[in-house]
Amino acid sequence: MRLWKSPEPDAPETVAEALRRAEHHRREERYAEASALVARALELDPDNLHAHLLAAYVHIARRAPALAKTEFRWVLGHDATHPRALVGLARIALDEGDARLCRDLLRRALRSYPDFPEATALLEALRGRDAPPAPPPAAPAAPRVDRLRLPGTGRALVVGRADGGLIAAQPPADEAKDVAEELARTLRLAASALRRAGLGALHRAIVDDGRDAVFTRTDGELVVSLALPRATDPTQGLLDVNRLWSATQHELGVAGTPPANAAPATPVSTPAADSTRRVS
Amino acid sequence: MTGPRLKLALEYDSASRGRHVRDIVQELKRLHWVRGALLVATDGFVIAADLPENVAVDSLAALAATLGRELQTSAARLGRPSFSTALFSADDGTMFLAASRIGYLVVLADQQVNVQAIRGALTDAVALIEAAWGPGQATS
Repeated sequence: MRLWKSPEPDAPETVAEALRRAEHHRREERYAEASALVARALELDPDNLHAHLLAAYVHIARRAPALAKTEFRWVLGHDATHPRALVGLARIALDEGDARLCRDLLRRALRSYPDFPEATALLEALRGRDAPPAPPPAAPAAPRVDRLRLPGTGRALVVGRADGGLIAAQPPADEAKDVAEELARTLRLAASALRRAGLGALHRAIVDDGRDAVFTRTDGELVVSLALPRATDPTQGLLDVNRLWSATQHELGVAGTPPANAAPATPVSTPAADSTRRVS
Repeated sequence: MTGPRLKLALEYDSASRGRHVRDIVQELKRLHWVRGALLVATDGFVIAADLPENVAVDSLAALAATLGRELQTSAARLGRPSFSTALFSADDGTMFLAASRIGYLVVLADQQVNVQAIRGALTDAVALIEAAWGPGQATS
């Protein structure tokens, strides 16, 4: 039985070669090979900054953020203003919901490299997170969103504000508040991406998760989101969410729309009034 | 999509995979009302892009990757399945996003684009990527 392992016949002999090949494999999304080559580079030169940075990227790709953070921090320990390490840590902070840390890291990167496009774009996406919450839509009377009627195939309705505040949900669910917050976060990022692509302000979204298709309409202040079965025709779903959008605006008193008594595009499931949880 | 045909994973070497993803992006770009397409890794690395000149590729890629990851982590936090496709419609066009094993496919299109056609094309494109990479190769 062999007790030792012979070196790989094509194992790189220099750090440069190992990193070149690791980068190539990373671009090919072959992370196992990339990891092995980065490990080889670090074996040859444990203090190689580029190798640690590449190791961090591979950890991110393999969804190991804790290991990636360790590598990015190592890089920053040797070069406190390294922009790629700062942006890498910022991305992880954003994934972990720490917008403040994310913003601090991006600003540090931009202080040293003001033209860094990735940092600029991400910082733009974060704008508004710390802004004071937008005042709720003017409501002269208590909102009557409980009168909104879900389409027959409708699975859930969430009415919220763009800052993540929940206004109402049907059917009532404990996680509706979380859903409103997650939705707002996603829409903020989508709005930034649309602006970057030169497409203007976000109005509608459809997110298909394999189980439901979530149709959303927003004007930058109000968010109305309707979950329908995945097989729903997009036009049908958009018609349904548009109807609920108009009805919500009417009930909240934010538009001079007539009462929303138009027939929904699909058969109606009218929940009992007390089955709606009004949060604010 | 009519361009890249389905192949077995073993038919692809590294060089042809690169060509293959570029073909996939270019095929998406050729669809009616489509302005541009992009394939970006989850860390924001641009794998292939065919975008209008007025769009800054790096910035859009960074935001698209962040948005894709946000959709995935958000679904995980809520205990829901991860997204397969998403579209975001704005004043002057629509952005589509699809998750694949190597990153996110992005399509920028005009307002009047056929939503179902693009979603179908994205599903095909994701399947082509799956076929090229083979099971378990991307993140192994």
